Amino acid sequence: MKRRSLVVAAAGAVAALPLLPPDIQAFTRAVRARMGSGLRTLDPHQHATVARAADLIIPATDTPPASAGNVADFIDTVLSGWYADDDRAAFLTGLTDLDTQARTAFGKDFVDGTPAEQTSLLQGLDDETARWYRSPAKTRGPEPFFHRLKWLTVYGYYSSEAGLVKDQRFEMIPGKYVPCAPADSSATGDF
Amino acid sequence: MKTYDAIVVGSGMTGGWAAKELTEHGLETLVLEAGPMVTPSDYVEHVPPWEKPFRGLGDRKKQLERQPIQKECYACDEWSGKFFVDDIDNPYTQAEGKPFLWLRGRHVAGRSIMWGRQVYRWSDLDFEGNLRDGISIDWPIRYKDIEPWYDHVEEFIGISGEKLGLPQLPDGKFLKPMDLNCGEQMMREVVAKHWGGQRVLTIGRCAVLTENHNGRAACHYCGYCERGCITLSYFNSINATLPAAQKTGKMTLRPDSVVHSLIYDKKKNRVTGVRVIDGTTMHALEFHARVVFLCASALESARLLLNSATPDQPTGLANSSGEVGHNIMDHIMGGGASGRIDAPADRNTVGRRPNGIYMPRFRNLAGGPKSKFLRGYGFQGGAGRDGWWRGTDLPGFGAAWKKQLEQPGDWHMGFSGFGECLPNHDNYLEIDHTRKDKWGIPVIKISVSYSDNERQLMEDSSIAAAEMLAAAGARDISVGTDFSPPGKAIHEMGTCRMGRDAKTSVLNSNNQSWEIPNLFITDGACMTSSACQNPSITYMALTARAANFAVDAMKRNEL
Repeated sequence: MKRRSLVVAAAGAVAALPLLPPDIQAFTRAVRARMGSGLRTLDPHQHATVARAADLIIPATDTPPASAGNVADFIDTVLSGWYADDDRAAFLTGLTDLDTQARTAFGKDFVDGTPAEQTSLLQGLDDETARWYRSPAKTRGPEPFFHRLKWLTVYGYYSSEAGLVKDQRFEMIPGKYVPCAPADSSATGDF
Repeated sequence: MKTYDAIVVGSGMTGGWAAKELTEHGLETLVLEAGPMVTPSDYVEHVPPWEKPFRGLGDRKKQLERQPIQKECYACDEWSGKFFVDDIDNPYTQAEGKPFLWLRGRHVAGRSIMWGRQVYRWSDLDFEGNLRDGISIDWPIRYKDIEPWYDHVEEFIGISGEKLGLPQLPDGKFLKPMDLNCGEQMMREVVAKHWGGQRVLTIGRCAVLTENHNGRAACHYCGYCERGCITLSYFNSINATLPAAQKTGKMTLRPDSVVHSLIYDKKKNRVTGVRVIDGTTMHALEFHARVVFLCASALESARLLLNSATPDQPTGLANSSGEVGHNIMDHIMGGGASGRIDAPADRNTVGRRPNGIYMPRFRNLAGGPKSKFLRGYGFQGGAGRDGWWRGTDLPGFGAAWKKQLEQPGDWHMGFSGFGECLPNHDNYLEIDHTRKDKWGIPVIKISVSYSDNERQLMEDSSIAAAEMLAAAGARDISVGTDFSPPGKAIHEMGTCRMGRDAKTSVLNSNNQSWEIPNLFITDGACMTSSACQNPSITYMALTARAANFAVDAMKRNEL
């Protein structure tokens, strides 16, 4: 039931985005035309940017990182086949802005920064996102790019085998229902 | 041309039961299903999200294009979307300003594949409701008439649940109940302490096996029943009733057979068969039988009668009462409340229980205080802990943040009200002659809206739920105020009601047309009131009862 409300929230967020120019389809075709990577929307640089940011959000610990769940590929799939044109455009604009902010902060594209530089930049965006999230829904304005990136990263990772099984200990066929199991030993993964 | 003993239109919740009962009594039965064949090999409950193109988010663009209405059902997702109709091929129209969600499947087993599996008997509080309140018409039956058929159906399909001994919610033939989790147990104690004797929190009574039963295996708690079940652990037609009918050697199941209308012989005053459009070839066909059972769903069965109008019967077949298509009811939802509760932080659940809690109706009981509204509501819901999804809005990122998400989050408890809807002649469907479906059959126009009574009892459900949560010390209580449009509960019913006379009702006490003795309607169309319980078990019991009545009447040459 919780995951379902998450899906509904995703669809709701889509509607809140501002409209962008209608030439985005031509833009997307142009992007696709210069790729041979199997990606449908992201170019290799954008893909690397998303993958790096996702691995900072969900790094390797004693469980796998976001990249083990092919999160950047999942985000390319959502951008290509799920998002409306204006949502896709907003996301791609957000990626461009991320590089602009990176060059201002440390003089390089986001992917070329040191882990410390990248983390510091994302920390600022996360703080801003948290302020946005706490504000009243009616007046808080459009969804920040980082909120969407984080949403897609979380969903993409925990719907992957790496995230759901290895990190969350999800079992497809539990074979039993234990109503009050010790929390530390129980399979916590749900989907 | 061959004349069957019986034709059953529809293979879902009730069609499966009609097929089983009629064939087990030796009748050569043709089951006509509008949609394609489905077998257990079509089940997808163990396909993990990472094997789906959109990882469970669904194919949003395709849904917007082909299933803009069906997607309103939670079960119409990236796995089970294939079990819901294509809205473009299967259109209907809605009266201006009166939205109605007609959520359905068209395939062998129908909605019994995706149903919610909740099973609650009615009591005489429900069967006597209309008479007591002086509204609409009286049911022609009482609990004692249906009780043995509830037993009969429950023993076959297997229901898990807890016996409570409540007059308003009779106990059934239960397998062992599923367990309440820690949060629900805590809530049950709070309810017992503050509302003992009035409100009871119990585990849902559901058509999911907790023990092996009639050759079907106990539940393995994967939790995705609406996607099918290869161990046949929940009840649907292809897991249980249709195989039983098949075993008799008397059933012919014909998928892709869209019934257009009934063939009526005026001289004999009998239906002699049905006109069918073959779903794949689009050819017009006819099939004949001595008795016809409509189990096509409440709205489809009424559509069939209205589309069977003749110059002699311009308002539709079996419709001298003028009630065919009228008195549409559903259950109103959207009331209730949820909040964060202080259940044990060191406890969590293992396995995904395909069932929640139930709180039987506690308003306007016999001898109790009267509310400002008629009838009442039941609560469904449950407790659980937040999981990884809270990460989307949990401030932070990186290793420590990820570690937090490896542990379960807060406990939440939610109550969702399911409210009774009063019968009202002005809630109706009619044929929309301006529009046809993919098979060239005129569609229906639906005109249904809720009244103040439904809204009042839903508002009361939100208050009642919030006060229970408050008594449990819950925080961040949110209260339901956005009530569902008609149809959303997928309990639509009432279009060919049963009654005590031919003037005010379509069917007699045996689900038999008052006018055409060999015509039976046993799906949700037959309902005279809606109660607040999930209705499928009552449809099934009435179907089994009517089928046995029909068999006996045929033996006596009365049909």
